[in-house]
This record gives sequence, structure tokens and C-alpha cells, in this order.
Amino acid sequence: MTATIGHSCVVIAFLLAIWGIIAPLLTYKTGREAFFASTRAGILGQFLLVTVASSALIYALVTADFSIKYVAFNTTRATPVYYRVTGLWGALEGSLLLWEWLLVIFSGLVAWIYKDRHRELMPWVLLIFSIVSAFFLAVIAFASNPFEVLSPPPADGRGLNPLLEDANMITHPPLLYTGFVGLTVPYAFAMAALIIGRLDEAWIKTTRRWTITAWCFLTMGNLVGAWWSYHVLGWGGYWAWDPVENAAFMPWLPATAFLHSVQVQERRSRLKAWNLFLIIIAFSLTIFGTFLTRSGILSSIHAFSSGPVGTLFLSFLALVLLGSFGLLAYRMDHLRGQPEFDSMISRESAFLLNNVVLVSALFTIFLGTIFPLLSEAIAGVQVSVGAPYFNSVTVPLFLSLVFLMALGPMIAWRRASWNNLKRNFLWPALASIGVALLLFVWAIRDFLPLLGFMLSAFVAFTIFFDTARAVRARRRIAGERIATALGTLVRRNQRRYGGLVVHLGIVLIALGIAGSMSYSIERQATLEVGQSLAIGPYKVRFEGLRGLQQPTHFRVEATFRVFNNGDESRLYSPALKFFPNQQAPVGRAEFQSTLADDLYIILSGFSEVGKNQATLKALVRPLVAWIWIGGVVIVFGTIIAIWPFRGESGERKDES
Amino acid sequence: MGRTKRFLIGGVIILAALSYLIYGGMREAIVYFRTPAELKAQEQSSKGKSLRLGGMVVAGSLQKDLKNLTYRFQITDGVASIPVYFHGVPPDLFSEGKGAVVEGKMGADGVFLATTIMAKHAEEYSPPQTGEPSYPHSFVPGRDEKKP
Repeated sequence: MTATIGHSCVVIAFLLAIWGIIAPLLTYKTGREAFFASTRAGILGQFLLVTVASSALIYALVTADFSIKYVAFNTTRATPVYYRVTGLWGALEGSLLLWEWLLVIFSGLVAWIYKDRHRELMPWVLLIFSIVSAFFLAVIAFASNPFEVLSPPPADGRGLNPLLEDANMITHPPLLYTGFVGLTVPYAFAMAALIIGRLDEAWIKTTRRWTITAWCFLTMGNLVGAWWSYHVLGWGGYWAWDPVENAAFMPWLPATAFLHSVQVQERRSRLKAWNLFLIIIAFSLTIFGTFLTRSGILSSIHAFSSGPVGTLFLSFLALVLLGSFGLLAYRMDHLRGQPEFDSMISRESAFLLNNVVLVSALFTIFLGTIFPLLSEAIAGVQVSVGAPYFNSVTVPLFLSLVFLMALGPMIAWRRASWNNLKRNFLWPALASIGVALLLFVWAIRDFLPLLGFMLSAFVAFTIFFDTARAVRARRRIAGERIATALGTLVRRNQRRYGGLVVHLGIVLIALGIAGSMSYSIERQATLEVGQSLAIGPYKVRFEGLRGLQQPTHFRVEATFRVFNNGDESRLYSPALKFFPNQQAPVGRAEFQSTLADDLYIILSGFSEVGKNQATLKALVRPLVAWIWIGGVVIVFGTIIAIWPFRGESGERKDES
Repeated sequence: MGRTKRFLIGGVIILAALSYLIYGGMREAIVYFRTPAELKAQEQSSKGKSLRLGGMVVAGSLQKDLKNLTYRFQITDGVASIPVYFHGVPPDLFSEGKGAVVEGKMGADGVFLATTIMAKHAEEYSPPQTGEPSYPHSFVPGRDEKKP
């Protein structure tokens, strides 16, 4: 029954999406308003139907309706309710439904918010949304059906992959998908602008908040993924340059480039074609990422035939690329004849350079991700490209990005004078060199981390210096107190200050990455009760083992007492979880964070037979906590940038 | 056009720098996949290269020293087998008679020095077994005992 309701809703929504493609064309042909009204109604209908379908699947998951194959494969009777709900995105079929659900939420919002505005653009925006929606609905309805029936229903389900039974898994996929799907909004507006040939700043201004919001979700999705990897996967790292991670990270790069380059178009009417290129690439990469992770092509090119979903995504990707770049080429004459930059030393140049670096990073990561596929397909040689490639290539690129982050927000538009440069950068530059000297004298002698810390300090100093000066000016002019002055500044230039706060967040992440990449310590040992392992400033003493029966698994815990520099002690109890359905236990590492470093302990093995002994791996990872703090700062900055302050027409006055 | 030329020169410099980065990175980090038979056949030319060696851990070949965390075993593809030395903690799924991929370099003495062991993950979860699982009294990565 639930399955029938769900599947019917998907099929009807698919038909509505097809209507959403036809109706705007009819509106254009006949000029009849009724067709446009029906497009909007169709979008709303899709939203309602897909919401019912998703609720049906959630209902089936929560009530453990094992007559539905997806439910039987992803829950058990013992699964707690919240993990049953998150089962919606525990596997391919459900996660596609979640994607589609988010997509119709976004398209519904767009259709509703702009019901009286952008009359010229809107039919085409909704057409683009309908094309994307029709594709996802077709895949869900006919190729990867989450409502497939299992008969006879089994007595109990197989259960979620235990690694997914974690609070972060509740948030990671929806955050990431919201980011991906959010990029559809600027993409749809860009395509609509190309179709009607109105390539001024209108589509960019309209989608500004959408893009920033999508970008923030994308950032959070990646960071929560990293956090999950660090927290749950139990290998002590947060980023492995795994193709799946790369697939999630790649759209972030052109999206970030886009956020910056659109400002050049808004302010200086340059880079129009480039902005369209970036948003097409960003959107395509969200489809490409799903293709890469869901087609089975990653394990080997020969595994590609395993299902139709991969082929469908690849075909859709080809359609998106051909259609988008075809339109871009068709409208190229509208995009020519923009004036050139006035000077190489200007904000637009800094932004352009930032774009070049981001796109270069994208290209190198893309190449490294698909190189094994190319090599196998072309030369028949099986290779893999490991993390060292990605680290050695991206570290210089990201360091130059940090440098540009200091430059971009402060350097003048058009042409920067010596005075402008000296005024904004002299003191911050001297201060950051001072920091680097101090660090060098203290302990840090390696070039790359030292450079990383210095550039991070440079960004922070330019921001503090600039803000302090602006606050002082307001105090002089308006006689406000510091807090009030800061509030006024932020309200009047919310995009600028929101952006600067986001930059600070990125700098904190850079600190965390530089510290943990360069100065981690790792030790492994087998200890008997009472024996200790020394690592960095810590001493880890093994105290004993105990076993605990849990609802879904059996848990073996090892207790370690950790002494920090000999004095205070804390208890760690990393564990191994034995699930009845699994071949091998699932490790549950434990770590404790301080702002200086994390001590991370992994239990690898144990034996009660003969003697009580435990095999452990311990890591000291400096500054990791700053990565997560940086993430929080980024969210805060984004909120400042998009907050609808009342009573101020802040949009007009925005400076950057 | 002076300006066009400047942008062109800038572009060429950026491209050159990027190619250099990619080339350098790839040369360091590309890892070739070999089967034990392929490695046997090209033992000389493979020395010093980063390799992934994939096959089956030969039953009965595993010698481990838990105190020092050293593992010695043979990897075979049914045609040839290669001795492997590993220091560290292997993944949970690693065991005799199962598939494994080791990454590292071929040593001068014909022993493969592995820096990483990757055990083959089971793609699907096995259906629940009947009866309660037995109490695990010990778990040591790199099982050599046969399950009863």
C-alpha cells in the first residue's frame, strides 16, 4: 500500500515535470498567460507529490515495513527510530529521492517567491528546474525505485551499515545535497538569462543570496563529512582524497570562484561569459559527482555496467554540458566587447587570479580523480593516484589562495595606487612577518607550514586592521561606541563583513590543516595491562578490557589512562563493535580535543586469552579543533552576509 | 597589443607552473597495480617503484609478532607468490585465505615492503546468522585461526 502510494506519486510528479518542460514553450509560442500559470501549478504539484512520496518512504522505514525492499535492506527491528528516518539517505535509491525532494523544495520556493517578479525570466527558470526534476524522477520511477516490493517480506531487515549509525550521518548527506541542489538556482537563472538573451546583472543579483546559502551548505556538507571521517572511520584522519570526497569537494571550487567573480560583473560589468562558464561547471560537477560515486566506475572501469543509474547520469551530464555550452556559444555575440581591466594591480585582477587558482585546483583534483579511469581505459594499465599527489599539487595552490584572501577584499577596484597598497598592507605585512619570525625562533622551522601560518596571520591582520580603522572613523564621525560602531558597519556592509568573517573561518581551517598535516605524531603498540606508551607530551597506560552487550552489537572496550606531561589524567575507552551481520568488527576510536592538539586512540585488537593485552594506535594531531571552529565561523559569516536587516536598503550600498 | 600580450604571458606562466605541479605530483604519487605473477616477471624493473600488489593471503603463511607489530606473509594470485613484510596494524578484515592489496615497494632481497595493507571490503552485508554471536574473547587483526 505504502509502496503503491509512493511509486504512483513519483510517476505522476514525473508527468508534471514533463508538463513543466512543455508549458513554458507553449507560453512562449502562444503568449498565453494560462500556460505560465499552469507551469507554476505543476511545480507546486511536484513539490506536494514528492513530499508525499518521501513521507511514504520515511513512514515505511519507521514502521519497519519489510515488504519494501529498500526498508528491508536498510533497517532492522532493532534500529532506533532516528536511524530509521536517516535510512532515507542510507543507500542509493533513497538518497536520490532525498535529492529530488530538496530540488522540488527549491523550485517550489523559487516559483513562490518570484511569482510577481522576473516575468520574462521565470518561465525559463522553471523550465530548467523541470528538466532536472524530470531526470531525477525518471531515474527514481524507472531505474532505481526505492518502493520496489519484496515478497515474501523477510522477518527482519539487514540493517544500515554500522558506520552510518552516527549522529553526523544524520546531517552530512542532507547538508551536502542541499548545497548541490542549491546550485541549481543560480544555474537555472543563468540558463534562463542565456535563453532570453538578457545578460546584464539581473540574474546574478537575484540569485546572490541563493548562491551564498548553497555555498555555505556545500562547505558544511564537506566539513561534516570530514568530521565524520575523523570521528567515526577511526583512522585518525579527516580527509583522504578519496574519489567520493573529491566528488563532493569539486563543485565547491567553481562555486567559490563564482561567488567572487560575480562581484566583478556586478561592479565592473566584466567576466560575463566567465561567470556563466563557472556556474555551468559547478552545476555539472554535482551531476558528475553522483555519477562517479554511484556508477561503480570507481572500483574499475569494468564494473561500470553494473547498473543503469551510472549510464543515465552520464547521459544527463552530456545533455547538460552540450545544452549549456551550446547556449553559451549561441549568445557569445552578446558577451563580447566588454572593456578590459584598467590595471593588473586591482581588485578585479585579484579576483581573476583567485578564480584562476580555484579552477586550477579543480583541474588538478579532477585529473587525479579520473586518472586511474583514463589510464585503464586508454593504456590498459591499472594505477592509483594517492593522497601525496593531491597534497603536493593543492598545497601550493591553496597557499596562494590564502595570500589572495588577504589581497582581494582590501585592494582598490580599477587601479590600486601605491598609497592604497601601503595603507592597507604595510602594517599587516610587517606584523605577519613578525609572527613568522617568532614561530621560527620558537619551534617551526619547516618552510611550508611556516609560510601557511604567516599567510594566515596576514589575512587575519588585514581584516582586523581594516575593521579597526573603519570603527575608529565611525567613532569620530558619529561618536558611536565601539560595539555600536561595529554593528552599524556590519549592517550597512553586510556582504563585505560577512565575507570577511567567512575568510577568518577559512583561515582557521587553514591553520588546522597546516598544523595537523605537518606535525602529527603516530605510534602503534601492543600493551599488557599496566604497560604504557609515550607519545608527544602524553603517556598512555593500558588499564584493562571489558565487554558489553548492546542492542545491536557486542562492544569490547579497552580502558586507557592518559597522563599529560605527567600530571592530570583522563580516561579513554576506544572500542571494537561486533555486529552479528558483519565479517569484521567496527572500530570506535576515541579522541579528546584541546585547542592545541587532539590525542586520538584507536583500538586495533585485543586478547583476553592468556594475558590481557591490547593493540592500539595513538595519534597526536595538532590544531585539528580549529578546522571545526572555522566551520562554525563560516556559518556565522554567511548568516551576516544574507541576514535580511530591516529598514536599511543594504543591498544597494554593498561595497564588495 | 601590449595588454593582450601581458595576459598571454601570464597565462603561459600559470599553465607552465600548473603542468610542473601536476607532473611532479604524479611522478611521486602514481602507484601501479601488479599481480604477483606480473611482479615476478618484472622484478628488476619494478624495484623502487610504488606498487600495489593484489592477491590472496596464502593460508598458513602468516607469521606475526604482536609485540613488535610485524607481519610476514605470502601473497599469491595462484601463479606466483611474493613474500611481504609489514610493520604496523593491518585492517580488521585482513586475514589468511582472504583477498588483500598491499602498497609499498619491492625490496632488494625480493621481499615486498608494505607500508599499507588494504583488505577487500565485502560490498554487501551478509544476512543475519541464526543464533547469537559467540562472545569474542579476542580479536587480533590478521586472523590465522580458522573459524569453527
